[in-house]
Amino acid sequence: MMRRPQKSCPFCETRVRFIDYKDDRTLGRFITDHGKILPSRLSGVCARHQRQLALAVKRARYLALIPYIRGHQA
Amino acid sequence: MPRQYEAVFVFDSALEDAAINERLERYAGLLGTPDDLKWDHWGRRQLAYPIGRREIGYYVVGRFGAESAVLPEYERAIKLDEGIIRHLLTIYEHELGAPPMTEEEMAAAARRRDQEDDEDED
Repeated sequence: MMRRPQKSCPFCETRVRFIDYKDDRTLGRFITDHGKILPSRLSGVCARHQRQLALAVKRARYLALIPYIRGHQA
Repeated sequence: MPRQYEAVFVFDSALEDAAINERLERYAGLLGTPDDLKWDHWGRRQLAYPIGRREIGYYVVGRFGAESAVLPEYERAIKLDEGIIRHLLTIYEHELGAPPMTEEEMAAAARRRDQEDDEDED
């Protein structure tokens, strides 16, 4: 069976212990053009940090630091 | 036992700075005016999406130690305040958990992961 090449977690590499929900610039790297959370298979984020990231994105959305949806014409 | 909390407020940008400071002092009073209370004013910034008719909010981040018993009354007062458009009260996580892993621990964890991956393949 073909294995996906292992990507290294960008948060582990920089020794991030807790992902900050107030850091909208970092979170912005892990959401798609539409504002969805980027899957870890694309970003290479490890499971622990992906859980933290998901919570951080949801908190940041609530505080209007990042949008719920982007590129939507009402 | 008091825990460290972090609060983020998004005030209506139409409020005067003095009115915002007065509110923050009032809410600090509800917490029993903690000694380690620190406010970080981000100031006015664009909201990522409009909330009602508001496009701009005044952000304030606070960190403090408090007993959990005082928080329900604190949150109730905040919810009733129409000048606050969003607020979030969380446990300040940076204080929790074990110290960061050393180089050796990181290497050992990576080796363990590789081994587990190899086992999965069988």
